[in-house]
Amino acid sequence: MLSPVVPLPETVFQARGLTKTYGHGDAAVHALAGLDLDLFGGELVVLLGASGSGKSTLLNLLGGLDLPSTGTLSYRDWNLARATEDELTRYRRHVVGFVFQFYNLIPSLTARENVALITALAPDPMTPEAALDLVGLSHRLDHFPAQLSGGEQQRVAIARAIAKKPAVLLCDEPTGALDIQTGITVLTAIERINRELGTLTVVITHNAVIADMAARVIHLSDGRIQSLTTNPTRKPPSELAW
Amino acid sequence: MHPLDLKLLRDARALRTQLFAVALVMACGLAMMIMTRSLMGSLEHARDTYYREQRFGDLFASLKRAPSSLAAQIAALPGVAAVEPSLRVGVTLDVPGLLEPASGLVHSLPDRRDPLLDRPVLRAGRALSLSAADEVLVGEAFAEARRIKPGDTINLLLNGRLTALRVVGIVLAPHYVFEAPPGSALPDPRTFGVFWLREKALAEAFDLDGAFNQISVLLSPGARPAALIADLDRLLEPWGGLGAYDRERHPGNRRVTDEINVLRGLSFGFPLVFLSVAAFMTHSVLARLITLQREQIAVLKAFGFANSAIGFHYLKFALLIVAAGTTLGTVGGFFLGHKIVAMYHLFFRFPDLAFIPAWGAIFSAAAASACSALIGVAVTVRRIARLAPAEAMRPEPPADFRPSLLERLGPARHASVPLRMALRNLARKPLQAALTTAALALATAILVVPSSFRDGIRHVLDFQWDVVQRQTVTVALQEPGPLRALADLRALPGVILAEPFRSVPVELAVGPRTRRVSLNGLPATATLQRLTDARGHPFSLPPHGLVLSHALADALHLAPGDSVEVRVLQGKRVHQTLPVVAITDDFAGTAAYLELDALNRFLREGDRLSGAHLTVAAGEWTAFLTALKATPGAAGVMIKNSLRESFRKTTAESIGLIQMLYRTFAIIVAAGICYNSARIALSERTRELATLRVLGFTVREVSIVLIGEIVLLALVAMPFGLVLGSGIAASIIATVSTETIRLPLILTPANYAFAVLVVTLATAASLWLACRRLAQLDLVSVLKARD
Repeated sequence: MLSPVVPLPETVFQARGLTKTYGHGDAAVHALAGLDLDLFGGELVVLLGASGSGKSTLLNLLGGLDLPSTGTLSYRDWNLARATEDELTRYRRHVVGFVFQFYNLIPSLTARENVALITALAPDPMTPEAALDLVGLSHRLDHFPAQLSGGEQQRVAIARAIAKKPAVLLCDEPTGALDIQTGITVLTAIERINRELGTLTVVITHNAVIADMAARVIHLSDGRIQSLTTNPTRKPPSELAW
Repeated sequence: MHPLDLKLLRDARALRTQLFAVALVMACGLAMMIMTRSLMGSLEHARDTYYREQRFGDLFASLKRAPSSLAAQIAALPGVAAVEPSLRVGVTLDVPGLLEPASGLVHSLPDRRDPLLDRPVLRAGRALSLSAADEVLVGEAFAEARRIKPGDTINLLLNGRLTALRVVGIVLAPHYVFEAPPGSALPDPRTFGVFWLREKALAEAFDLDGAFNQISVLLSPGARPAALIADLDRLLEPWGGLGAYDRERHPGNRRVTDEINVLRGLSFGFPLVFLSVAAFMTHSVLARLITLQREQIAVLKAFGFANSAIGFHYLKFALLIVAAGTTLGTVGGFFLGHKIVAMYHLFFRFPDLAFIPAWGAIFSAAAASACSALIGVAVTVRRIARLAPAEAMRPEPPADFRPSLLERLGPARHASVPLRMALRNLARKPLQAALTTAALALATAILVVPSSFRDGIRHVLDFQWDVVQRQTVTVALQEPGPLRALADLRALPGVILAEPFRSVPVELAVGPRTRRVSLNGLPATATLQRLTDARGHPFSLPPHGLVLSHALADALHLAPGDSVEVRVLQGKRVHQTLPVVAITDDFAGTAAYLELDALNRFLREGDRLSGAHLTVAAGEWTAFLTALKATPGAAGVMIKNSLRESFRKTTAESIGLIQMLYRTFAIIVAAGICYNSARIALSERTRELATLRVLGFTVREVSIVLIGEIVLLALVAMPFGLVLGSGIAASIIATVSTETIRLPLILTPANYAFAVLVVTLATAASLWLACRRLAQLDLVSVLKARD
C-alpha cells in the first residue's frame, strides 16, 4: 500500500546527557551540565545565551574541536564522543564549515587563495570564484585580508567555509566584531547559503535580535537548555535591527 | 614579590626551553672566552713567577769555549746585574730497556755555591752535594717518562766514557719550560733528557776546566737589551759565540709565548661570533614575547605604569638570560680551564701552574652580553611604548601582504599554497628573514672551523711525515764529519738508503731585520727529506740560491728574487749575500736550505756532513738500533715514528681537545639557532596554523607551511655559511699559527658535508619538536585569543 510520503526532517546531530567539565575538584567548571539535543538537516538554528552559558562549548563539540566529558554525541553515523584525533580532523575536513568571530583568514593569502586552500581538500567543491560570488565579493578576488574591510573579511571567511559544500555550517559570533550594516550583509550571506544549499547552519550569538532569522532558537543557561522555541515566521536578515 | 616580577618568573617558565637555548649559546661563548683568557693569565703568572723566583736570565749566549775571566768582563758591562757562566754538553745515554739510543744535554752547576741565575727547582730527592762527582739531577719530564727516581743509577756517555751516576734529585729548570731536544719543535721525553752535574765533574770529563760555553745575563732595570746583545756578540765572537739572544728568542720561552698568542687568538674571534649570535637570539625571543604581550602592555599602561617601568620589566628577561648564561659559562669555563691546565703538564713544565680565573674578563663579558641584550630589547620596547594604550588593546590589523617577487616574476606563480605562504611571509619581513638566514649561516660557519683544525693536524701528521720526511730515522753526528761517516752509517744493518745533510747556525739579515736559523744543506737529488711547494708538491733544491720556509720568508719580508746576507755563526764565520730562489711550505720551525755542495763550498771546510737521513728495513730495526748505539760519534737520533707519536700525544692532543670542545660548542650553538628559529616561526604562525587545523587540515599538511619557510632559509643560508666558515677558519688559523708551529688551512668536502649535516639534523629535529607542539595546540583557545 502506498501512502503519501511526508519528508520527515532527518536527525543530523543527536546529543544525550552531554556534559563538559573543565578542571577538577573545587576548580571544576561545568560548561555543559547534561544536555539533550537533536538538530535536523537543512535547518537554521540560533544558539542564544549569555557569556558562560555553554554555547561556545556546545559549538566546539559539534565542530569536532573538543570531546565531551560524558554523554553521547553523534553526527549521522559518526560517534563524536569517542572519536580519535585523526577522525576529528577528517570530520572537520569533510563535514564542517567554520566561521569565526575574528575571521581567522590567512593574512598571506588573497581572498581567492584563502578559499582555494579549502577547496583543494574537498572532493566536490564549488570554485573559489563561485563561493566568493555567493557572498557578493566577486570584485575582490585578488585582495589580501589587509586590503579588505571587517565585513568583507568575514564574508571571505563564509565563502571559505561553504566552498567545500559542507553538510554543516557553524558560525561563532559571526557579527560580533562588526557594525550593524556590515553584520546584516554577513547574516544575509549566511541565510542565503542555508536556503540555497540546504546546509544545516548553527549560529551562536548573544544578540537576541538575530534569533528572529532562525527556524529554531535554543536558549542556553548554565550549561543546560533553558528553552527551545520554533519561530512561526522567519524574518529576512535585512529586516533585523539592533 | 612585586606582581610584575611574578609575571616575569611565570612567563620565563613558559618560555624556559627557548630562554635556555639562548643562555646555552651565550654560555658557550663565555665559557670559551673565560677559559682562554684565564689560561692566558695562568700561563703568564706561572711563567713570570717561575722566572722571577729562579732568577731566569734576560739574555743568553752559547759559544765554543771561553776562559772564565771573560765572564767577569761581561759582568762589568753597564746594565748587567748578574751573569752565570756554565757548561752545557750533548751526551748519549744508555738507557736500560730502551732499544734506541737516547740523548741529552748536561748542564753544570757551580761548585761550592748555588747558581746566581737559572736555578733548578727541586721536585723530589735532594740537591747535589757541594762537590760530589758522581751525583746527578734529572729533568722531570725525562724522569717521568723513564720512571727514574732518586737513588737510581743512570749511565751517561760523557765524552766517549760511560759514566755511572747516582740520581739524587728530580728537578725543573726555567730553561726547560718546554723540554725538547735542541732544534726540535716537539718534546720527546722518552729519548731526550736534561741533566745537571757539578761543574768540576763535567769540566774534567770534557776537558773544559776553567772555561764556560754558555752564559746567562740578568739585566739591571732600564738596561737596553739590544745594546747588550751587540756587546755580548762582540766579546764572544773570538770564542766561537753563536750569537746572543733575549728571552723572546729563547726556544722554551718562545713556546709559552706562542701558546699565549694562540689563546689570545682563540679568546676573541670565536667567542665574539657566539656572543653576537646570543644577542641576536635574545632580541628575537624577546621581540616575539613583547609582540605577543601587546595587550598586556596596553593594560599596564592604561593603569598608569610608565614606559620605563614596562621597559625595565622586559629588560629583566634579558638580564635573566645573561645571568643564566654567565653562570653556566663561568662554571663551564672553569671546568674546561682546569682540564686544559692538566693537559698543559704534558708539555709545559712549570713548578706551579694553577688555573687562575680571569675575573676581569668574566665581568666585562657579562657586561658586554647585558649591553647587547639591552639594545636588543630596547628596540622592541620603544615600538610598544609609542603606541597609545587604546590602540595597543585592539588586535593588530592583519599584516600587509602582497605576492612575493618570485611570484610576480613568474617562477613561483604556480607554487603550492604552503610554499606561496612561506614565500610571502619571508617577503613581508625581509629583515627578519635576513637575520634568521644570517644566524643559520653562522651556525653552518662555526661548524667548519673546528673541523678545519682537525684536518690541518691530520695533514701535518700524514702528508708532511709521509710525503715530506720519508726517512725512518735521522742520525746527527757529534761534530761535522767527513764523507766517510756517511759510508759508515750506510754500512749499518738494515740501512736501505742514506742521504747526508749539513746544518750550520746562521744569521740572515735584510736591512734591520735579522733571524737566527739553521741553514740546512741537502743533496739536490734528495728523496728522503724533501721540500714542498705551496701545493704540497715536492721539488728539488736548485744548485744555487736559498730556499726559505714560508714563515721565515714572511718574517724577513723576502720573496724569490730578493737577496739576503747570510752570516755563518761558527767555524770560519764566513758571510755572503745569497739570492732567495724558492719558498717551501713547512709546518714547524723556520729554516733555510741550500744545496749540499753549494753549502760546503760556501763554508770552505771541505765536503762534510752533520748527519744523515736513513731508511731502515723494518725486519732489521732491532739490529740497526743495537749497532747504532755502539757507533761512536752518533750524537742524536730522531726516529720519525716516535716524533710523530710525540706530536700526536702533545700538540695534536691539545689541539684535538680544543677542537673537540669547539666542535661541541658549535653543535650546541647551531642547534640552539635552529631551534629558536623554528620556535619563533611557530609562535608567529600559531593562530594561522591553528585555523588551518580547525578547517580540517591534518598536522602533516599544516607542518609543511612551517617547515617550508625554515627549509627555504636554511637552503639559502648553508652555502653562505660554508663560505663564511672557510673565511673564519682561515683567519683563526692565521692568528694561531706561529713561527714555531703552523697549521695549514685544509678545507675538505667531508668538513663541509659535516657542517651541512649538523645544521640539517638540528633544523630537522627542531622542526620535529615544533611540529609536535603544533599537534598539541589547543585549537579552541588559540581561536578565541586575538592575535
